[in-house]
Amino acid sequence: MTTSAPEPLLALSNVNTFYGQAQVHFDLSITVARGHIVCLLGGNASGKSTTMKIILGLVKPRSGEVTFDGASLIGLSTPQIVRRGIASVPEARRLFADMSVRENILMGAFVRNDRDAVAQDLDRMLTLFPKLGQRLSQRAGSLSGGEQQMVAMARALMSRPRMIVMDEPTMGLSPLYVDRVLELIRAINQEGVSVFMVEQNASLALEIAHEAYVLQTGKIVLSGSARALKDDPRVRDAYLGGSEAA
Amino acid sequence: MSSWLDYTINGLIVGNVYALVAVGLALIFGVSRLINFAQGSIYLVGAYIGWVAVVQLHTPLPLTIIVVAAAAAVVGLIIERFGLRPLQNSVRIAPLLATIGISFVLDQLVMLTFSPNPRALPSQLPDVRFQLGGGTIGPLDLLIAGVGITSALLLFVFLRYSKLGWAVRAASQDRDAAMQMGVDVNRVNQAVFGIAAALGGVSGMLVGMYYNQIDTAMSLQATLKGVVAEVVGGAGNVPGAVIGSLLLGLVESYGVAVFGTSYRNLFAFLLLVVVLVLRPNGLFASARQAPPEPLTGTFIAPSRPVRIPRWALAVAAAGFAILPFFPVSFYVLQTLINAWLLGMLALSLTLVAGTMGQVSLGHAALLAIGAYTSALLSLTLSVPVGLAVIGGGLVSAALGTLLISPSFRLRGHYVSIATLAIGEIVSLVILNWESVTRGPIGISGIPPLSLFGYDLISPTSIYWFSFAVMVVLALLQGRLLGSHLGRSFRAIRDDDIAARAYGLSLNRYKSLAFIFGGFAAGVSGGIAAHLYSYINHETFNTQQSILALTVVILGGLGNVVGAIVGSVALVGLPEVFRIAAEYRILIYGIVLLLLVRFRPQGLLGTI
Ligand SMILES: Nc1ncnc2c1ncn2[C@@H]1O[C@H](COP(=O)(O)OP(=O)(O)OP(=O)(O)O)[C@@H](O)[C@H]1O
Ligand SMILES: [Mg+2]
Repeated sequence: MTTSAPEPLLALSNVNTFYGQAQVHFDLSITVARGHIVCLLGGNASGKSTTMKIILGLVKPRSGEVTFDGASLIGLSTPQIVRRGIASVPEARRLFADMSVRENILMGAFVRNDRDAVAQDLDRMLTLFPKLGQRLSQRAGSLSGGEQQMVAMARALMSRPRMIVMDEPTMGLSPLYVDRVLELIRAINQEGVSVFMVEQNASLALEIAHEAYVLQTGKIVLSGSARALKDDPRVRDAYLGGSEAA
Repeated sequence: MSSWLDYTINGLIVGNVYALVAVGLALIFGVSRLINFAQGSIYLVGAYIGWVAVVQLHTPLPLTIIVVAAAAAVVGLIIERFGLRPLQNSVRIAPLLATIGISFVLDQLVMLTFSPNPRALPSQLPDVRFQLGGGTIGPLDLLIAGVGITSALLLFVFLRYSKLGWAVRAASQDRDAAMQMGVDVNRVNQAVFGIAAALGGVSGMLVGMYYNQIDTAMSLQATLKGVVAEVVGGAGNVPGAVIGSLLLGLVESYGVAVFGTSYRNLFAFLLLVVVLVLRPNGLFASARQAPPEPLTGTFIAPSRPVRIPRWALAVAAAGFAILPFFPVSFYVLQTLINAWLLGMLALSLTLVAGTMGQVSLGHAALLAIGAYTSALLSLTLSVPVGLAVIGGGLVSAALGTLLISPSFRLRGHYVSIATLAIGEIVSLVILNWESVTRGPIGISGIPPLSLFGYDLISPTSIYWFSFAVMVVLALLQGRLLGSHLGRSFRAIRDDDIAARAYGLSLNRYKSLAFIFGGFAAGVSGGIAAHLYSYINHETFNTQQSILALTVVILGGLGNVVGAIVGSVALVGLPEVFRIAAEYRILIYGIVLLLLVRFRPQGLLGTI
């Protein structure tokens, strides 16, 4: 499986991002191969969430290129990018708190017009996330953090995406739920969906990722296969602010 | 004699009318976090389109309603597309200011097209009344109730069952997340502006029929009432807006029953202030709802102020000081006197809104307090006019700060709403407190300006006096901005959470800003009272508050020199170009819109 490198599905090349005067990304380059799970590791304020926002078109880079399936995403609006096949699980989940769980999940299919297939997919989500079955008419805001994470993932899958980007999917979850979420990400991936995930928890993320990048104050300081990085002491150093890799 | 049931019916009917306005405001606030101050103008437009349909085209009632709804919706779509969408990436205050500019433009266009005189808008319904319990109800009451209930049902079905309705709900709960589901927020905005405008327009038409009269003053009143109802129900909460409207209608109706008609609005604004102070998220906000609008940092357009060397300022001041020695006309001096008076108000507002970040929409109230104080001190207590004017400044500083203090804990757009309401309350108290203010009759025979026993009657002496006072206030304010205090003001404006973390007491600094600003505005009002010799509760109105805001934005928020330059420009240029009085407000509205769009930092830059 890992013998020949597949053609990349998503590629960021030499991306520079600014918030006002402050530069957040310095020549950022990341690729996500088709069918792979790629993880972006980094400490607080290193620019991880901003990378997600660049991919989704919520923040525009000052320079650099972002391509998905060979076509540029620069200049496209977020809804247009979503229609190309990228779904997202945002940081802190960002459910529509006053809408029901069912409505939240169906919002994920907003870009689709095939009503019958959407209904089937909703049933499929309930087999994938059995706990949500009893909660369908409950207000999404009233769910526990772990349940909300399930809804957010179901919502993302409803658009039948080719790729899902996730921002810290395990944040704030109990160990039980963390395992469940990682399992689900692997399962989703095995159905052919590429995954780009942002994580602070390196050891967890490297369990399931194929490749990983380490981001430190807006620069990629390490990258490679997850297996290689797992044992690399510099991964830990990067979090402690070590500068030897820069 | 009307029965209590009559007052209840009237309250609910009026509440229905408010609901049609407030629901639109709530939809727009939900999606854009924007208080649409142009909502009342659409209501006005709806009333006049209704008049054209009924009186000139003789359309039957159902068709009239459809025509009004459709035409108003088109106006709403135009506002969204050309007035607000270009501002999507600008500072947070920009769309609010734009809606104020749009409302000025629309109101003036209606006034220029149809003349300011009231018109009758016949209801086309039979004029009968049915007995209902102890009260009576007429066909028009039923029509209004019917339109209200039908609209609520249609809106419910739209939001609950249509795809666009889902998009509206999702976008109002989390705009970014909705975009990540593929929701096109521009389409959602279009939808809510179209719906809000259609409902608002129909509401204006119904009110016109209810009172069988329409006039251009309806606009501001409708905006105010809609905003009150919306905030009472919880900004952005659509069912809350309906309940808030009915509550407002009832409170007003019972207030009128007990105290009389002139108290109607007073109750509305008191209700608003009480709700803002006790439950700023509205009566029905759920506890988990995020606090409204963490507006910091980007509220005011950041910029580098234009540096003007001191000597240039000194030369300019000297030039204006010796101007009366040249053969200039009385007319030029009169115009500049107006500019200096407006300049003092602008100094006050630029400190409060620019330096402190509290965008006040009720600043004319400070003028009114200063003017009444000075007039009454000199008339009833025979205080020398010079001292009376200073007294006006002091009372305005103290009373203004006291009145505004309940809003110190509010932020962003809520400050604007609260100051607007407090401004209205001041004017209504002046109207109703007859034993002191002489109520609607106003105060006449106010003595002319005088200083150390010498009357200032010649235009030249008045010119020098007002110019000197303004320059002194400007110098003081310049000093203030350069001091530690001025830096603290700006720190609070830019990030009040961080400022508090550094131990700055927000209440103390906001009070200080309002005390200084209240004094400058009060002095301006005091001088004006002695110049006009007659004032009443409408002499200092919301239009003046907005004019001052335009001046301040034109000059650059927080910019002392900018406030004066803005005043001279806004008062002087229409004179230079000999623009007829009835077009001036229109021009001011357009100036405000262009500034917000193309130069939000103003001519001289924000400080
Ligand atoms: N909208 C914004 N405006 C200005 N600065 C921002 C904005 N969003 C993020 N930043 C800044 O950009 C930097 C990177 O932020 P980002 O959210 O990408 O970090 P992160 O790696 O996701 O951090 P965390 O682990 O805390 O989620 C931070 O210093 C942050 O303060
Ligand atoms: Mg983050």
